[in-house]
Amino acid sequence: MEEVVRIESLSFQYEDGKKVLDHLDFSLLKGDFVGIVGPNGSGKSTLMKLILGLLPPVEGSISLFGVPIQKFRDWTKIGYVAQQAAHGTGGFPATVKEVIASGLVSKVGLFRRLKAAHYAKVEEVAERVGLAEKLHDRIGNLSGGQLQRVFIARALVAEPELLILDEPTVGVDQESIGQFYGLLRSLKEESQMTMMIVSHDVGVMTQWVTKVACLQRGLHFHGTADEFAHNQENILRSMYGDAIRVLAHHH
Amino acid sequence: MLADWWQYDFLRYTLFSGILIGLICPVLGTFLIVRRLSMMADGLSHVTLSGVAAGMLLSKKIAFFQAVNPLFFGMLFSVVGSLFIERLRKVYKAYQDLAIPIILSAGLGLFTVMVSMANGFNTDLYSYLFGKIVTVTREDLYALLGVGAVVIGTVLLLYKELFAISFDEEYARVSGVARRSINLWFMVLVALTIAASMRIVGVLLISALITIPVAASLQVAGSFRQAMWLAILFAEASVLSGLYLAYLLDWASGGTIVLMAVLLLVIVLGGKRLRARFLQGRGESR
Ligand SMILES: Nc1ncnc2c1ncn2[C@@H]1O[C@H](COP(=O)(O)OP(=O)(O)O)[C@@H](O)[C@H]1O
Ligand SMILES: [Mg+2]
Repeated sequence: MEEVVRIESLSFQYEDGKKVLDHLDFSLLKGDFVGIVGPNGSGKSTLMKLILGLLPPVEGSISLFGVPIQKFRDWTKIGYVAQQAAHGTGGFPATVKEVIASGLVSKVGLFRRLKAAHYAKVEEVAERVGLAEKLHDRIGNLSGGQLQRVFIARALVAEPELLILDEPTVGVDQESIGQFYGLLRSLKEESQMTMMIVSHDVGVMTQWVTKVACLQRGLHFHGTADEFAHNQENILRSMYGDAIRVLAHHH
Repeated sequence: MLADWWQYDFLRYTLFSGILIGLICPVLGTFLIVRRLSMMADGLSHVTLSGVAAGMLLSKKIAFFQAVNPLFFGMLFSVVGSLFIERLRKVYKAYQDLAIPIILSAGLGLFTVMVSMANGFNTDLYSYLFGKIVTVTREDLYALLGVGAVVIGTVLLLYKELFAISFDEEYARVSGVARRSINLWFMVLVALTIAASMRIVGVLLISALITIPVAASLQVAGSFRQAMWLAILFAEASVLSGLYLAYLLDWASGGTIVLMAVLLLVIVLGGKRLRARFLQGRGESR
């Protein structure tokens, strides 16, 4: 099995010196759909940013598609939806179409213009996420859930092999969340896309993913979704303390 | 009256440079404003001013520099200033807008010191500050033509990259867009544009032409592309009507152009309100 992400003994701290990640090992295989859970501030977003090359590791190594991250150049293979991606973009004078198309910029390449074939791809992806009718709307006129789907479409339009989603369902209504995970699952089945999703709604997410990893400085648990479901109560309690009972009892 | 514009060289130069400025200022302005860098133009215009003063000072003290248009010193200072702002923005990551007042004060400080060193200038500094029709020379026009060609060429070639960076810089970086080089190049273009435009609208008013037409277009545009085209339309309308009025009434060209731009903005805002009220009224009567 091809290793899409391989992390060895990764440590990271921000400038203030507080250790966020401590000798973390992790690997993601082609076709994996991994859910990452962990309390607020446990370093989930930090880990994603390290994998995306937005932050430099303090110690340890990261490889993407078998290439050390320092030498990795194929960034178009990776799609990303940041935590709160939509935050503060409402006033920007752009249409849904323009924003989704911006996901193709790097793939199309410097000095080249977007052509009809590219826009056909944009329309196809918009259809996929249920925004076909909204293509020419200004993004400021969309609902929170619709806006979130624009950002997912932007990440998908370049047909990445690895998709990284950082809390993509925050502020999205319950019904749309179900549709959203359904979309991810069908993408995975059709194109063998590898996916990594950070999410707070442990209950919903673990029903869809194939593996779960819990993060708190190190990885506390890293197993299949079934194993996780079995031990869920214990794992979560050890991480969140008693507060987790509320969460776990939903199911 | 209109025939004058073809008869006299300086008026023709003014007209052409006005049309060019009305094109490149709103184009760069659209990117600057959506990135919340509209103050950048203000900062750089003051640095440009200090460059012009440096050029005048040198030509007063050293004969050799008399042949050099102070405009080129303005360009040089402006470009160095823009690189400095980029540098400062990295040092003060959490306070990115701090870079601009620092540069602005430094530029103004340099300017006043050089003016005092020269014991004042014979040349009309006022025209550099506020713009004056009769001072536009063939050389000024050529400089502006050169800058304009580079700006338009860049925006045509890098439109999608500039859009991606402006919309979401982090995502552009993640997806592998050459964000750093493009940012740097863009800032250099802003600096050159400001320096090359100042004869017409003046250093102090150039940022108005970069921001006001865009402010108006943002109110009505349905897309980013449209925002840029409308900003160009508003800017050209302000420049042409402003220049004509300024010549007719013997007003300062820069100030007249800016007043026309403000007038257009007010009309756009008012029109939008009226339309909303009209639509609302129609809804009620149904
Ligand atoms: N830019 C930053 N500078 C300093 N500390 C940060 C920064 N970003 C996050 N942190 C800190 O690092 C820790 C992990 O943050 P984060 O990765 O965002 O956690 P999570 O995504 O799991 O909620 C938190 O304690 C947070 O306060
Ligand atoms: Mg987070």
